Amino acid sequence: MKRLLPVVLLLLLMLASMVVLRLSPWRYATQDRVSILASSTLTHPAGTDELGRDRLVRAAAALLIGIGGASAAATITILLAAAAGLLAAFSPSWVAAVLLFLSDGFLSLPWLFLLMIVRSMLPLTASPLTTAVITFLVLALLGWPAFARTIFHGARGIRSSEWMIHGRASGLTARQLILVHVFPNLGSLLLPQFFVCIPAFLMAEANLGALGLGVGEPIPSWGAMLLELDNTALLISTRWVFLPIALLVLVLLLLEFLTSEANAHV
Amino acid sequence: MSGHVLQVQLTAAYGKRAVLRDLAFDLSAGEALGVVGSSGAGKTTLVMALLGLLAFHGGRSTGKVLIQGKNLLRMTEREARRIRGRLIGLIPQSPMTALNPAITLEAHFQAAWRAHESTGNQALRLRLRQSLEEVQLPADDDAFLLRKPGQISVGQAQRVLIALALLHHPSILIADEPTSALDPVTQSEIVKLLQRLTRRHGVAMLYISHDLISVLELCDRLAVLHDGAIAECIPVRHLEQATHPATRTLFGSLPVPISVLLAHFAARMRPQSSSDNFPPRPHATLTRNGAAQTDHSWPEDEGIALSANGAGRYNLRDK
Repeated sequence: MKRLLPVVLLLLLMLASMVVLRLSPWRYATQDRVSILASSTLTHPAGTDELGRDRLVRAAAALLIGIGGASAAATITILLAAAAGLLAAFSPSWVAAVLLFLSDGFLSLPWLFLLMIVRSMLPLTASPLTTAVITFLVLALLGWPAFARTIFHGARGIRSSEWMIHGRASGLTARQLILVHVFPNLGSLLLPQFFVCIPAFLMAEANLGALGLGVGEPIPSWGAMLLELDNTALLISTRWVFLPIALLVLVLLLLEFLTSEANAHV
Repeated sequence: MSGHVLQVQLTAAYGKRAVLRDLAFDLSAGEALGVVGSSGAGKTTLVMALLGLLAFHGGRSTGKVLIQGKNLLRMTEREARRIRGRLIGLIPQSPMTALNPAITLEAHFQAAWRAHESTGNQALRLRLRQSLEEVQLPADDDAFLLRKPGQISVGQAQRVLIALALLHHPSILIADEPTSALDPVTQSEIVKLLQRLTRRHGVAMLYISHDLISVLELCDRLAVLHDGAIAECIPVRHLEQATHPATRTLFGSLPVPISVLLAHFAARMRPQSSSDNFPPRPHATLTRNGAAQTDHSWPEDEGIALSANGAGRYNLRDK
């Protein structure tokens, strides 16, 4: 039960966000020009931003986009990392050396800088959706080396495990060794990495967004919404400005619990 | 040549470090050969080399491992795979880690079966039932096979591994310190089980151990592994005539003189004869005490009684 609690709370948060998007009369991009920078009102429960857009709707959309994008990016990253890590672990040692050298090389790149370069090379006319997809894709493509090494060591452990030795000694075919002995153990190897990856990507997106290099306007993202926090006048007028960051911290915290629980049960 | 199910002449090395130096022995059908040696003498290397798997451990083996007249070390991987598990069974050292924690016991048996048999589930089910009974695991309880290795005891895990090793009726069984991870009671049960099964199936066994007493109990011949080669190989009943210093050192580690032990085991071989020190028991085995015997013996099985190595040693020392 304790193990499921973070999952349940996360799902509830996402469900609540969907309900908000469904029921609210406002869309994330619609401007209510009569109430700009509003505080909590009946029509805008969490107020509006400086363009008169409903903050609750935008926060809800940002949460869904953030978690969805980060999960998708994490899936790609872990698949890439698994491919590299497993290939390295089950290949002759020189292949492993080359792959690990590559991933080390990747790791030593100043990747935040690289993200900024890649992201700023996008034409200004790129559609908001394109920027969102590209932001997460760049995260996914740059994120795998850190996980490849962990997966490599885990896979090495599987390869030299006593049960693999016993499997070989029992004359199992290579196919059987992979299907029967390697695959069933991949879940406990990859899943914790996946759960570590999601909050890392959420943070990365928020940081990029705060630099103005994340998901493009008007699509709401945590990064873009955190930009509001440097407006002191706004900070004084309403506390609802803190809604996105509060949600971000809550989601990160829940993901953290999820990760430690997942690790504890491996 | 005839009668030998296994003929070995091996040199093995990791990089430049030679571990086995022209180690040679042979194994006749149905014979049990004990290989003893101190830690680091090359026992595990020997096991891996005999299976042609040393390369997976970063080693290299040359020489010959003749099984049914064919050299395992000269075979392609494809041919060698068909030998492993079918003609040679392996009982590994640490039962808990030799089973994959992520899959059920049934999955282990299925994989081992399909590695060498194309016949379907029905044949496996039949064989499985038989072999579970042989190793005294619940054969009728389907739930047992659906357990994962973490849900059974070490003793049960070792029985599962024995059943796996014997699944295809191999002619050679390699037991790599099969009792070293077990408590004394389970140890003696496993030794008894091996004794019974190898006799019943006429399997030749290479019993690798550092527990000399279980070797005396199980084996026909004893080979002393010293410095990467067989220092001495003699029939167990003539052990007193052993001359090699390594063998004598080994005997020196025993709690009682080797002659006393040999007399004891010889007496067990002939249940009619009596010995002053060891009055014959119902099963002519050395028991720790009556209570333990009734507690732990298998009621349906005549052969299992507490005995041997651990338990017996203390009993002997007490005398």
